[in-house]
Amino acid sequence: MTLAATSGVDELLAGIDAATPPVGILDEGAKREIRRAVLTAVCVPGYQVPFGSREMPVARGWGSGGLQVTLAVIGTDDTVKVIDQGDDAGVNATNLRRLIAGSTGCAESADSREATVIQTRHRVPEQPLSDRHVLVLQVPVPEPLRGVQRSVAECARMHAEADYAAMWVSLYEDIVRNGVITKSTGYPVLVDGRYVMATTPIPRWDVPRLHQAEHLSLFGAGREKRIYAVPPHTDVRPLTFDDVPFEVEGADGPCVRCGSTDAFLVEAGPGRFACSDTEWCARVQEGDADLEAHHAAAPLALLPDPARRPARTSERAVEPREASQRAGRGGIDRAGAGPEWALLVEGIGKVHGPGGAAAVAGTGPEHGTAVSPATGAIVAAWDVGFDVAPGEAVGLIGESGSGKSTVLRCIVGDEAATAGRLFLADVDGGTTDVLTLDGPARRRLRISTLGIVHQDPSAGLAMNVTAGGNIAERLTAAGWRDYGAIRARAAQLLDRVEVPLSRMDDPVRTFSGGMRQRVQIAKALATDPSVLLLDEPTTGLDASVAAGVLDLLRGLLAERDVAAVVVSHDFAVIEALTDRSLVMQLGRVVEHGLTDQLFRDPHHPYTQRLVAAARR
Amino acid sequence: MTRRVLEVRGLAKTFTLHTIDGRTVVSLRGVDLDVAAGEHVALAGPSGAGKSSLLRCVHRTYLPDAGTVTLHREDGPVDLTALPDRALARLRARELGYVSQFLAAPPRTGPLELVAAAARRRGLDRDAATDAAAAALRRLALDEALWDVDCGVLSGGERQRVNLAAATVRPPRLLLLDEPVSALDPANRERALELIASLSGAGVAVLAVFHDADAMRALATRVVRLADGRITEEGTPAQVLGAAA
Repeated sequence: MTLAATSGVDELLAGIDAATPPVGILDEGAKREIRRAVLTAVCVPGYQVPFGSREMPVARGWGSGGLQVTLAVIGTDDTVKVIDQGDDAGVNATNLRRLIAGSTGCAESADSREATVIQTRHRVPEQPLSDRHVLVLQVPVPEPLRGVQRSVAECARMHAEADYAAMWVSLYEDIVRNGVITKSTGYPVLVDGRYVMATTPIPRWDVPRLHQAEHLSLFGAGREKRIYAVPPHTDVRPLTFDDVPFEVEGADGPCVRCGSTDAFLVEAGPGRFACSDTEWCARVQEGDADLEAHHAAAPLALLPDPARRPARTSERAVEPREASQRAGRGGIDRAGAGPEWALLVEGIGKVHGPGGAAAVAGTGPEHGTAVSPATGAIVAAWDVGFDVAPGEAVGLIGESGSGKSTVLRCIVGDEAATAGRLFLADVDGGTTDVLTLDGPARRRLRISTLGIVHQDPSAGLAMNVTAGGNIAERLTAAGWRDYGAIRARAAQLLDRVEVPLSRMDDPVRTFSGGMRQRVQIAKALATDPSVLLLDEPTTGLDASVAAGVLDLLRGLLAERDVAAVVVSHDFAVIEALTDRSLVMQLGRVVEHGLTDQLFRDPHHPYTQRLVAAARR
Repeated sequence: MTRRVLEVRGLAKTFTLHTIDGRTVVSLRGVDLDVAAGEHVALAGPSGAGKSSLLRCVHRTYLPDAGTVTLHREDGPVDLTALPDRALARLRARELGYVSQFLAAPPRTGPLELVAAAARRRGLDRDAATDAAAAALRRLALDEALWDVDCGVLSGGERQRVNLAAATVRPPRLLLLDEPVSALDPANRERALELIASLSGAGVAVLAVFHDADAMRALATRVVRLADGRITEEGTPAQVLGAAA
C-alpha cells in the first residue's frame, strides 16, 4: 500500500491562505436564527428556547453553544473576552477568543472593563458588570429538572405547569441527608418568579450576581440545542426553603497572591487559596481595581453559618406536632351554601376503541359482554353516577374488569371519560364540570382536592425518595416552603398511619408492602383533601397486613370529614369502610344501596353471586 | 303515650334466589302495624313467620317489595322505604336502634370503641361518646377487662350486651330488638330487660322479637302474632299469650 502523493502541508496551507477577509463561521441566516432564539429567551426569562445548533470548530460540550451565541450577537465594534474557569490564559479560552476575533473582526481583550461580550465557562467575572456587557455562558446541561426527572416530555410539562415539587423534594432530601443543601454548581434558581433555571456550572458564589443584574446574561447549550437568558433587572432567586438560608462557598484564608478575602477563592495547594478570577487577582496586585465596588457586590452575607441551618435530624428528634401552616382549602366552609356533596359523578362512561357513545348499544350485563357488536370497542364503563358527601364513604364493588377502576381513573383524570359530567364542591362551588377542565387544571386538583391511594404503592410513591420526602412532595406542590413545618407535618402524618418515625428518612423502597401502603395513605391525606379515592387499598397485602391497613383506613375515615370512594372486589373491605355502595358488572351499575342491605338482601343475580362468594 | 312513631302499611317482601334457579321465598304478605312513643310492641309467632324480616324491612336491611314504613318525626312523617340511601344512613345513625341476635362488629374492634362509635354517630363528640359508651357498658355489667378486646373473642352473652349498649347508648326514636337477650344468663337478662323497660318509660318506641313469653309479658304493652307473613292476632300480652305458666 502506498500513500497518496501530496505536496506537503505548507503547499496546502498556501492554497487556503488568501488575502480575502475571514469568511466567518456562521452565515447570516444562521446568525439570524440564533438571534431570534436569543430574543425569545430574553422575552421569557429562564425559559429554554430550542434552536438549530450548528456544527462548530470545537467539539460539542466544549463551548459550542456559547460560541454560537457569541458569534450571533457580536459585531466588529465589539470587544470579546473569554474566560475558562476564571482564567483568560488557558488554551481553550485563548483559542476561542482568537477564533471569535479572527472570524468576526472584533477586538479582543482580557480586561472585563474593556470587553463588551464576555464568553465564560464556570464563572462570572469578579469585576462588576454594567449595562454595556453581554455575558455569554457555556452550558453543558440546560435542564435543571434532569436530576429529578429523566423524561424530556415530563420536564417540559413540569416547566409549563410550574410544577416544581420534585425539585423541592430533591432539596428536602438533600437537607435530610446532609443537614445542608449540598448542591454546589448549577444551583437551581427561580427566574422572574416563573421558571426554574439551571445556573450552569457557576459556583454558588456567582449566583447572586445574576439577580437584578445590570448586564444581560445569555446561556447557550450546543449539545442540547437550548438557549436561555436572564435580562437585566430580573429576579433570580436561588431555590431554598424559607427557614434554610442559601449559602455561598467560603474559603479558609485570603488569596495567596493578592490577599483578597472577598473574591471567589479556590484551593491552591494544602491550606492555601487563590483567586479563581486571574484577571481580578492580577489587577488587585497592580492596584488597578475598584475594591470598594467589588466588596459591596460580594455575597459576604451569604457565607456559610451553621447556626442558621436547620438542626440535623439525627440531632433533633422530630416530634409530631400540629403544623400551624395550612395550605390548600383553608377557608372553605363546608357547611356553607354549597352543595350537600363533595363529589358528584353523572353518567360517566368510557369506551376504548372506535365509535364512542355509538358503540354502547348491545353491551352490558343484559347482553353479557362489554365488547361492542357494532364496532368491537370495549365499553369499560357506561352511565355510572353517584355522589359522596363529606364524612361519607361510598363503595364501588365488582369483580375484576367490571369497570370500577376505570370510573376512578376518569375521576382522577388518568383516563379521558367518553361521556358524563363530574363536579367537585371545591371547584367553583360544584357548578363547573371538572371534565371540561384542561390537563394542568385537572392535575392541580390532585394537590389539595383529590387524594388518591393506589393498589400498587409504587404508583403513588417515588420509591427512591424517603417516606418524609414523599409527603413533602405533596406539601411543596401545595406551596409549603418552610422546611421545619414540612418535617413536622410529615412526622405527624406518619405517626398517625403508624409508621415509626425512625423510618421517616429511609427510602420507601426499603419498606414492606404494608408500610408502603401506609406511607401512600399519609401522602394522600397530607393536604387534607376533600375527596379521598381508594383503589383496592388492601389488595396485594397478606391477610394480617391488609387487616391493619383496613383498620387504619376505618379510623381515618371516621375522624375526618373527607368524602371517600372505595373501589374493591372484596365485600369485606366495602363492608368495613362504606355506608353505601354501587355494584358494577360489565361496565354498568347493576344495583346500589346501603352496604348492609346489599349484603343481607342483594337483589341482582350478580350481587347475590358476589355475596355468596364473600361468605367464606 | 299516643304519639305515633312507626306506621307500617301493606309491607310485603319476597326473596328471589337467583343462585338457586330463581326460586322465590315469600316472607311478608302485607303487614300493617303502628307503634307509638313509649309503646313496646312484641312480635310473636313460630320460626319463619316473618318476625325478623319485618324488623329488617323496617330498618331497611331488607328492601321491601311493597308497602310503606313511615317514621313520624318532629318535622313530619318520612317513608323509610323511599328515603334516599344517604338520608336513610343518617337517619339510622341518629334515630334508629337495631339489635340483632348476632353482633355485627367490624373486625378487630373492641366493645368500648364500638359503642363509642355508635355514640358519635348519634352526635356526641369524641370525649362525650367515650363517657357515654363506658356508662352504657357498665350499666349492662360488661367486665371492664373486656372493653378493649376484639369483639370477635367475646361470648354470645357478652356480644349481645355490647350490641344492646351500642343501640341504646343514646335513646333512639325507634328501637328494633331481634332476640336481644337470648344468650344472656338470668342476672344479665334481668339487667337488659330493665334497660329496655326504662327506655320505653323514656318515650322510646320499641318493636321487639323475643323468644321467650316471659320477656314479652314483662315488657310488652301489646303483642302481635305473625304467621306465614301475616298478622293473625293482636292484643295485650295476656290476651295473645295467655296467662303465665
